[in-house]
Amino acid sequence: MAAQDPKRPTYATDAIPSDVKNGLFLGNAALDNVVSCVIAMGAELWSTKRRLLVMQAVMAKNGITPEMIEKYVPTEAEKAAWESDRDRFVDLTLGPLADGGFRPVGSNFPKR
Amino acid sequence: MIGRRGFFGAAAASVAMAKTLSGQVATAATPAQAADAMANLAGLSPRGADGRLMRLATLDLESQQDFTLAFRLLHSKQIRAASISAFERVLEAEGIDPTTPLTADQVRVLAEKDPAINIANKTWLANQQITWKTLHDHFHGNYDHYMSELEAGDKAGPGTLVLSPTMNIPEYTKHEIHIQPGGYVGDPFGGYAYHYGTNSFYISVLGHNEQDQIHKGVVSRLPLPANGKVKRILDMGCGIGQYTVALKERFPDAEVWGLDIGAPMVRYAHMRASRLGNGANFAQKLAEETGFPDNHFDLVTSYIMHHEVPALKTLAIIDEARRVTRPGGIYYPLDFNSGGVKSPGRSMYGRWMDHRWNNEVWSMEYHSVAFNDEIAKRGFTAPAKPVVALPGFGVRHFVRTA
Repeated sequence: MAAQDPKRPTYATDAIPSDVKNGLFLGNAALDNVVSCVIAMGAELWSTKRRLLVMQAVMAKNGITPEMIEKYVPTEAEKAAWESDRDRFVDLTLGPLADGGFRPVGSNFPKR
Repeated sequence: MIGRRGFFGAAAASVAMAKTLSGQVATAATPAQAADAMANLAGLSPRGADGRLMRLATLDLESQQDFTLAFRLLHSKQIRAASISAFERVLEAEGIDPTTPLTADQVRVLAEKDPAINIANKTWLANQQITWKTLHDHFHGNYDHYMSELEAGDKAGPGTLVLSPTMNIPEYTKHEIHIQPGGYVGDPFGGYAYHYGTNSFYISVLGHNEQDQIHKGVVSRLPLPANGKVKRILDMGCGIGQYTVALKERFPDAEVWGLDIGAPMVRYAHMRASRLGNGANFAQKLAEETGFPDNHFDLVTSYIMHHEVPALKTLAIIDEARRVTRPGGIYYPLDFNSGGVKSPGRSMYGRWMDHRWNNEVWSMEYHSVAFNDEIAKRGFTAPAKPVVALPGFGVRHFVRTA
């Protein structure tokens, strides 16, 4: 959460975080993390496919051909923006590999 | 209308509430005004609106939610069933009759015996984490925009917003229920995330709710007091106010209040209600300490709140509901069926997972309370033929006795 600006109150307070990222469900933390990646990858892949469907529909209505897409050369600004988006994509889809699952599925809540 | 700003500074929330109750009740929007407000929604999002739901601001974010919704549907139809079958195989291997009532502690020990049981839980939770993370990242990535929206919303009408920035927030309300980052009190954009994130909750259990269909359906079935008089309505634990708004739509001439301890939730609720031209009022208040006068309301409701509070608080909330419901008034605290700390393994397994890993911290306590019995002990009577407001959920139709 962003630091509170006293002139701009958020009316939020500290929450008690869940420990779901530490849950160990599949007997091996690495396996748990891979499953997290698969789900995230699915979300990103479908987003991409859905955007392509939208683009196809819009392009068809505006005379944009597939050849024009194939030959397009991005600008430097576009390259930078796309790299930033790529990094976000990688973090979302593969970042869970770094999660530390150590709390067995049968464990009760930790003491707070 | 009384604006939020008037209540800041030294004014205590209870004083603010009393001022609001002194007679300045927000006027209801006419159907034409409501229609205009709906049309105006389209201009508030860069991608327009779908009926009363503003489209998410980016196509990718909308698509990510579309995916997690679809996965949740698949999960509810197929993956969960496979997992339960795996759990039943463990029961069989352990020589336990699947119909034998088990406690949550017994279930969690059994659940560890075979990871195949938990692939459903892992995927379900990973999917839900993606729902929250994508929403959270978007709203916080556009912090100034959404904070400005909320700030503008605070001043809007026709309804009233009462925030209580100095009140003590009880620990029990601070958990990240549904593993939503920040929960109901800790994320300034929690209302946004909850609204869009829970659409997938609904579709896998009750159907579409993007247009508040479920809330409106329940409200349409709520019973009336015997004399038909409904001039004041209280909705406890209102969250983002979908139910409260539906109440105001059904009873446009009534003074309607939605209360929630989560300031981010009532801010969003008020902003959204204002955009819909809905005159419901919202306040950051605890359900067990509403601050309203005795016998004040003709109808007191809550919508799936009680399983998110401790058992002792549930009892205190029922007491408060009795205090503020007028004799002959209706109390209808809708929630899941409750009762019993043991259930056959199959159902206890799902209940325990939801409790433990979906972070429904208080749900097991909720199930330990014989909810209807406790209400009946506290000055309410169930009619001979109670109204079923939402099939499959607990029937909570009570009348305040004199």
